[in-house]
Parts: sequence; C-alpha cells; structure tokens
Amino acid sequence: MKLSDREQDGIVILEPKGKIMGGPDATLLNDKLHEIIEAGQKRVVIDLSQVNWMNSTGLGILISTLTTLRNNDGELKLANVTEKIQSLLVITKLAPVFDSFDTIDDAVKAFK
Amino acid sequence: MDKPEISGNTIKIPPSHKFLADVDNFLESILREYKTEDSVIADIAISVSELVNNAVTHGRKAGNGNPVTVEINHQNNKIKVSVTDNGSGFNPDELDDPLADENLLKEVGRGLFIVRSLMDTVDIQTTNQGTTISITKTIQ
Repeated sequence: MKLSDREQDGIVILEPKGKIMGGPDATLLNDKLHEIIEAGQKRVVIDLSQVNWMNSTGLGILISTLTTLRNNDGELKLANVTEKIQSLLVITKLAPVFDSFDTIDDAVKAFK
Repeated sequence: MDKPEISGNTIKIPPSHKFLADVDNFLESILREYKTEDSVIADIAISVSELVNNAVTHGRKAGNGNPVTVEINHQNNKIKVSVTDNGSGFNPDELDDPLADENLLKEVGRGLFIVRSLMDTVDIQTTNQGTTISITKTIQ
C-alpha cells in the first residue's frame, strides 16, 4: 500500500493506494494519523477509490482511525468505497459505523 | 530462513508480516494462469492474507521461527489453498463472535469470520504443534 495526503477546504484527505493487508500498512496509516492529530487536524476523509481490497487488518485500521479521531473530538468520513470493500463492511456489520459518501467533495461538504 | 522460498506451487516465508506481499504476488500470478475473475482473485487473496496474518502471529507466539507455508492447488474448477504454521494451535470454537455488539468496534478478531464468508469451504486442522487451514473456492 502507498499513502498520500492533501488538504481540501481545511479537511485532510488521505489517499491510500493498492491493497491494505497488514504489517507495514497499519504502521504507515497509524503514523500518518498521529502526525495529523499532532498537527491539530481532526477532520479526515479517507478516499478508498484506489484501494483494490482490504482484509480485516484494513477494517481494523479504519476502526482505529475513527476511534482515535473521535477521542480527539474529530471525525472520519469515507469516500469512494469500492464494491469489494462495501461488501466486507456489510458482512462484518460495520457499514452503519462509518459515514460513507460517493465522492470526496460530498464527504468534505458533510463536515460543514 | 530469512527470505521467501518458492518451489512449484508452494511458497514458504519467515514468520514476519512484511512478507505478506510476497505471498500475495505469488498467489495472484498463479490465479491469473487459470484466468480467474478479478473479483474471485480478490476474495481468495483477502482470505489467504487473513490466514497468513494469523499463521505468522501464531508462529511468532510459539517463538520457534519456523516458516509459514502456503500451498496452492487447482483441480477441476476449484482452487485449494493450504496455509500451515508450526505454532501452538488454537480452538476455533473459542473465538469471539465478531458480530456481537461488544466486539463490533474491536480492531481485531474478524479474520477467520471473513474467510468463512468468502470461501466455499474452510477446513481447520490444529494441534498444539501447528495448524493447517485449507480453503477452497470455485473459480469458473
């Protein structure tokens, strides 16, 4: 997995790319998240459009991100959730836990 | 052993999560030979990554440094993948229900549940000397 980030209207957009399967992936995302929180940012969108698939480690990372942000008075929204990932969220009953949007713009607007 | 070893349809990796991508690349190259649909490749790859993650963790707990072995076979229209570790085994009946309210937001504990959801069959052979989990999936 590769990870890039940018800012749009004061919201951090995280853009993972590839497969989220464990090991170094979790470290990369967790380190980035803590960097974001330490910088005072609390509103994050994860764009999943370029994630081929993720496993339970990836779902754990999403849960950890959501929990960490909420514990710091922040919030997480997901954008462009692919069919494969949505199916995993449904199977694991996690779909209602996350706010999901069809586009990044929609997710960013939802913070306002 | 300090790096992955490939022999025919088998890959052995040291008990480290950093070799997950090696297993995934090996698996995908074999599944592409059988002209498997992308969606099915993803289901098998997700499942194998879950099993290898668990096998590496179990192998590490046992502290024996033994490799994790992944064997891939194709018969008729089915793919069978077996993942073996030399850890101390586990009792699949004692796993928490990941769908229970109290477990829903736990970061771990849903790997085998996902495998069972995505695969046609899941067979678990486990003792205190190691575990082999075999999965099958129809590919055509």
